[in-house]
Amino acid sequence: MQPILKINLTTGATEEFIIPKEWEREFLGGASLAARILYPYLTKELDPFSPESPLLFINGPLTGTSGPTTGRFVICGKGPATNLWAESGIGGFWGPELRAAGYDGLWITGKASEPVYLWLHGSRLEVRNAAHLWGQNTYTTQDNVKAEVGEKSARVCVIGPAGEKQVLFASIMCDHGRMAGRTGMGAVMGAKNLKAIAVHGTNEIPVADLNKYKLLRSESNRKLRDDNEARILREVGTAGVANYAEYLGAMPVKYYSRGSFENIDEISGSKMTDAILVGRSACQGCVIACGRVVKLPKDSSKRKGPEHETMVGFGANLLNDNLESIVDLGDLCDRYGMDTISASNTIGLAFHLFEMGIVTTRDTGGIELNWGDVDAIEQLVRMIGSREGIGDLLAQGSKRFGAHFNAEEEAVQVNGLEVAYHDPRGVSGMALSYATSPRGACHNQSDYFFVDFGHTSEKIGITYFERHAQAEKAANVAKHQDWRTFFNSAIICIFANVDPQMQVDLVNAACGYEWTLEDMMKSGERGWNIKRAINNRMGLTRANDNLPKALLEPYKEGGSMGFVPDLPAMLEAYYTARGWDMESGKPTKDKLIELGLDDVAKELWKKG
Amino acid sequence: MAIFPSEEWLKGLEVKINSDERYAEVAKNWEGDLFFHIESEGNLKEDLTFYLDLWHGKCRKAVYKPDASAYPKPAFKLTSSYNNIVSVLTDKMNPMTAMMTMKLKVQGSMGYMMRNVPTVLDFVRVANEATTDIL
Repeated sequence: MQPILKINLTTGATEEFIIPKEWEREFLGGASLAARILYPYLTKELDPFSPESPLLFINGPLTGTSGPTTGRFVICGKGPATNLWAESGIGGFWGPELRAAGYDGLWITGKASEPVYLWLHGSRLEVRNAAHLWGQNTYTTQDNVKAEVGEKSARVCVIGPAGEKQVLFASIMCDHGRMAGRTGMGAVMGAKNLKAIAVHGTNEIPVADLNKYKLLRSESNRKLRDDNEARILREVGTAGVANYAEYLGAMPVKYYSRGSFENIDEISGSKMTDAILVGRSACQGCVIACGRVVKLPKDSSKRKGPEHETMVGFGANLLNDNLESIVDLGDLCDRYGMDTISASNTIGLAFHLFEMGIVTTRDTGGIELNWGDVDAIEQLVRMIGSREGIGDLLAQGSKRFGAHFNAEEEAVQVNGLEVAYHDPRGVSGMALSYATSPRGACHNQSDYFFVDFGHTSEKIGITYFERHAQAEKAANVAKHQDWRTFFNSAIICIFANVDPQMQVDLVNAACGYEWTLEDMMKSGERGWNIKRAINNRMGLTRANDNLPKALLEPYKEGGSMGFVPDLPAMLEAYYTARGWDMESGKPTKDKLIELGLDDVAKELWKKG
Repeated sequence: MAIFPSEEWLKGLEVKINSDERYAEVAKNWEGDLFFHIESEGNLKEDLTFYLDLWHGKCRKAVYKPDASAYPKPAFKLTSSYNNIVSVLTDKMNPMTAMMTMKLKVQGSMGYMMRNVPTVLDFVRVANEATTDIL
């Protein structure tokens, strides 16, 4: 891979970091490589908002190669809500543009004395004043930065007001609507007074064997174009699974308290397609195009439509069946620059506590929080984005919001990150996905719900267990996590239903390796374990591998009525499959050494 | 009730669909005909086709080895190898697995299919129950 450009915003100093070749071979790129690079710096004492806190924008070796869904990059650091390892993947065109500028990463430290944005063109970096952009929403900022740099082909990453105000789930946007939503990397960027990063380059994307790669990408993209799952995503978007998820009782309703939603047809991907869809959008080189472009009757122009998480979060989660309002609420979050999962989840908690009489109108400034009240939801979104009134509390996420009202146990979160909208009572593998994810309750470190739906990958041993199976699927979940860790290092979108051998072939052609499927899975396992070790060092123990109370209470209705995952049994089987210490929750010394992480083993298991 | 695949089996499936109360309820909104293409493999020596016109929980027509040109635009064309179809019919493979892993290729509206997964799954249940033996 190409060098990483280190930028200290306090001093303005820059330096090229050359990625050690052995790290590339062991971790490939993306989030896994970032974990290896940042390992020495992510300590328990590190304040995520301090100048010392690193923020690493990094590509994978497939980024920008026009392989199957490879337009992605990832942003890594320490999560301000979780105080754990943080990574947030994002599509669009910015990562490929950075590659074309000659870098595979930007490693930001320090804090600018006033708001700035970066303009990287070719090998030249300018730090420009952004005081006049501070306060602008994400879309306006992108337009204005692009106009200022005077380069139509420039790609711009930005934060919105939520990032400036360090909302703990602030996101980073690029390319008009692509979001690094989770783990609050936008807040870390805001803490550095960094409003935007514009990049432009004209170099060729480095590929070891371009002729071979071209043949492979052509074949894989052709197959992906015809793939059933890809066609679902193209035709009805990620929310296309809504009906099926609701049918299974795998879609949380009314803040994870109900297992069915009778008005699901009103807020499904199919409904959006029929009613308001006017186009589709894709990341660089992607043949799927899961992005939705919609136009409401009141709109004068087209805009981004919601994906599954936003649809459920601001829909069934809040008993809202008004599709147009969900478009508006998702758009509002995007403009403020904040994660729709965490925002809608935390708002759901506020509604839940209001119903319980724990939060009252004295707390909300007079706003009645009645389920399905779109005006109330919108008011809370605006108050979070501007950190006004109760919005200042909500901006800290559900864990802290619940704790403020002595009701932390009601918050549906794991380790400070709000649970996404795939219910482990409907798809039990998600119990382990959420409980053991290195960044808190995350559905992208292992979208195991797809496996529980029936999506197997027999070539790498990921097989089918009944969706309510328990500990017997633990090793399968671990394997799936390793595979997705490979995806997040390559970087390939998890929607790419591409044969695993083809993925290895693509990596080999791009990097000049001779990897086997086993090497690919081992690389994923290595990445998963170093992130675990980082978290262990920052204080994570077995007790952190847990689920919130709500997810361990059976539904009284719907397709998963009566079922709860047996988390202790699942965890025990999972630890065994992982080779982790049952008591401490750390990877064993032997496991770390087996993965070539001798230095990590030495530090994690040092005496005293 | 008969051996799959055979004309008797298809006839039995038609009867089963039209007499199954659960299917009638689950599939009451389904509107779409299916053209199956089973690729030869194992005990099936030649490719096989059959056609089902499914409408509001009933089967309006079932044709064994139809002339494809007689049904040029079915709502769905489903293609799979014989062994994979048998795996689904004998509960050895989840039908969603067959679809998601491309062991069952689907031509037609994926949106409509996803909106009606309960109907699809119940159709497979009915087909399983209509199958007593495999070739």
